[in-house]
Amino acid sequence: MEDKAGVEFVPSIVGFLCNWCTYAAADLAGSSKFALPPSFTVIRVMCSSRIDHNLLLSTYFKGADGILVAGCHPGDCHYGEGNYYARRRFALLKKVMETLNLDPERLQLSWVSASEGKRYAEVVGEFTEKIKELGPNPIKNSTRF
Amino acid sequence: MKEFEMREAGQDKNLRAKVGVYICECGPNIAGKVDLDKIIADLSQLDDYQDVELVVKKYGFLCSGPGKEFLEEEIRSNGYTHLVVGACSPRDHDSTFMGVCKKTDLNPYLYRIINIREHCTWVIDDKEKATEKAFSYIRGGISRVLRQSELFEKPLDINPDVLVIGGGIAGMEAALSLSGEDRRVFLVEKTDHLGGISLDLSGLLPGQGEIIKNKIDSVTEDKNIRLFLNTSVETVIGFLGNFEIELVSIENAETTDIMAGAIVVATGSSLFDPGESAHLSYSESDEVYTSLSVEKMFSGEGEARLRSGKKPSSVALIHCVGREEKNYCSGICCSYMMKLAGFFRNQSPDIQVTEFYRDLCLPQKDDQERYTEAEAAGVEFVRIKDISIKGTEVSFEKMNSKKSEQSFDMVVLAPAIVPSADTEELADLLTVPLDESGFFQEVHKMTNPVGTSTDGVFIVGTAHGPKGVSDSMQFARASAGQILTRLIPGEKLIPEVKVTEILEAYCTGCGNCLDVCVYGAIYSDDSRGISVVNEAVCRGCGNCYGSCPSGALRTKHFTNTQLYREVDEALR
Repeated sequence: MEDKAGVEFVPSIVGFLCNWCTYAAADLAGSSKFALPPSFTVIRVMCSSRIDHNLLLSTYFKGADGILVAGCHPGDCHYGEGNYYARRRFALLKKVMETLNLDPERLQLSWVSASEGKRYAEVVGEFTEKIKELGPNPIKNSTRF
Repeated sequence: MKEFEMREAGQDKNLRAKVGVYICECGPNIAGKVDLDKIIADLSQLDDYQDVELVVKKYGFLCSGPGKEFLEEEIRSNGYTHLVVGACSPRDHDSTFMGVCKKTDLNPYLYRIINIREHCTWVIDDKEKATEKAFSYIRGGISRVLRQSELFEKPLDINPDVLVIGGGIAGMEAALSLSGEDRRVFLVEKTDHLGGISLDLSGLLPGQGEIIKNKIDSVTEDKNIRLFLNTSVETVIGFLGNFEIELVSIENAETTDIMAGAIVVATGSSLFDPGESAHLSYSESDEVYTSLSVEKMFSGEGEARLRSGKKPSSVALIHCVGREEKNYCSGICCSYMMKLAGFFRNQSPDIQVTEFYRDLCLPQKDDQERYTEAEAAGVEFVRIKDISIKGTEVSFEKMNSKKSEQSFDMVVLAPAIVPSADTEELADLLTVPLDESGFFQEVHKMTNPVGTSTDGVFIVGTAHGPKGVSDSMQFARASAGQILTRLIPGEKLIPEVKVTEILEAYCTGCGNCLDVCVYGAIYSDDSRGISVVNEAVCRGCGNCYGSCPSGALRTKHFTNTQLYREVDEALR
């Protein structure tokens, strides 16, 4: 997507990755030298369950074009059940965003295990493409918030 | 945000912060992919903070011996208040550089590693873009490290003694492995004798009966092992290194309090009751036996006879009893049923042995050989879709849907291995979850099958799931190995530092966090009406954070201030 001046839209995407699975997958993607978009910034947390609604909504309102939360596959959580909680909270947040007329499509939850470096690169690549399609987060220029 | 906040750092507001920023060249891995000099120049000119002094340098390999010495000397001579290392993944070298900090006065939690190799130079080909990204990551790291707080390790004294629950083969093996290394062991067994189910299996292998008897003698005579027969565990509180346990005698309800640093659960399993299956009528008076009763006949009398005293001339061995109901394969039945077929053939060479199975599971190293031998010797293997038994009349449907009936002198059932009766109660006591099949849940199937989510509680033998004698013993030794390396007499244990804390002023005592904590690390302080974190048990996952309606929780080293700074920097 390009704006009127013909400049390519480079989205700002924040990825909250759990330390044990997806962060390790990101490392593996790195050591495998898979190309990743520079527009993606990693924030490491210990568990996907630490990511609460306020943090995600703040990131959205601060103008992130896309937000990825990624952790261990269900049943594989380093802390036993953290990702189940993350999943439930995420589903709820998406509903809340719909109600508030925010774009839930800009949020994505994915499961990427420590061995899935390739999958990590695919998830990040595909999500970035999707956000490029959606264009800039309109909240950036909004005065509502 | 130009004004530097020292509040988060918990330090004197007037103290000027001095941040050392060291970028590792990592050979060509970083230096060859970005313009390091530009990054250093740009960072040095950063005017984000008025009262923060930045010192930015690069070095060849910071993780090398000379690299660490260089860094240590730099921290000392420059008197940094904070340190940022732009290098590789924290999974590789976070602990390396924390170790360097620990040698100096710099608190290791006022340092941060920034992963510009895996997340930048290795994945972004365009040098200009990679340089920009690396700069942005490091700038973010500086911003975050300034909001980090000093954290302090609180070493705890430990008790190196071990409680083993269950005196079967796995429990005895664990106790002997530990006592062999001079650990004191409390071995608790609810029956009046040691040995468990293995006593009935003494016909398994030549000499195995002796092995088990010798083990029982060794345990009984061992001065390091204090044996409690007819005893069960009443209460357990505590954590790795410090458990307080109350034992109660089943005979006279007398209680004994003991202290231990770790707990090994070796409570074994029981067998699926074939009576529960709709397809089977099960009664020994009808000459239908479980594999265990037949094992007992062979191990006791040396032979298996019918109730009339005659030797059977035909026997049906029914595998997979209860597999449909339980929805898992017990994994050892195929192997021991072939062993029983061998016993029957030794007893009467002309006997007709038919094995009915749904799937053959032959995981042990000589199983395949045993199967080939049995088949060559005339044992018939029939793969079935469905089966029903009335007395010794066996009706079955083969895989090709052909239905048949056959009558036998004797029928032997291989019931699924199921959790023992008191598993649920014990799991509650130990706050260890159960898996879908009702066995104790391990930390990880592959990487840590003996550990549980309650650190310090280990599961061995068939309490963990169906397995044979040798696997049970291996699990027991594995648990002993973990205990011996983690609880060392005289050494202290350092619990997780990045734990959650609850701010009393905000806590309403609603208890949401208690409910979501997998580790049972939060308890309710009724007198103060709040919830409190037991820092020795908390692992710092942060799951409780999202459950708190009043914002009373603070996840150390991953605080809101810190994470929000990272977000701001990412979106800058």
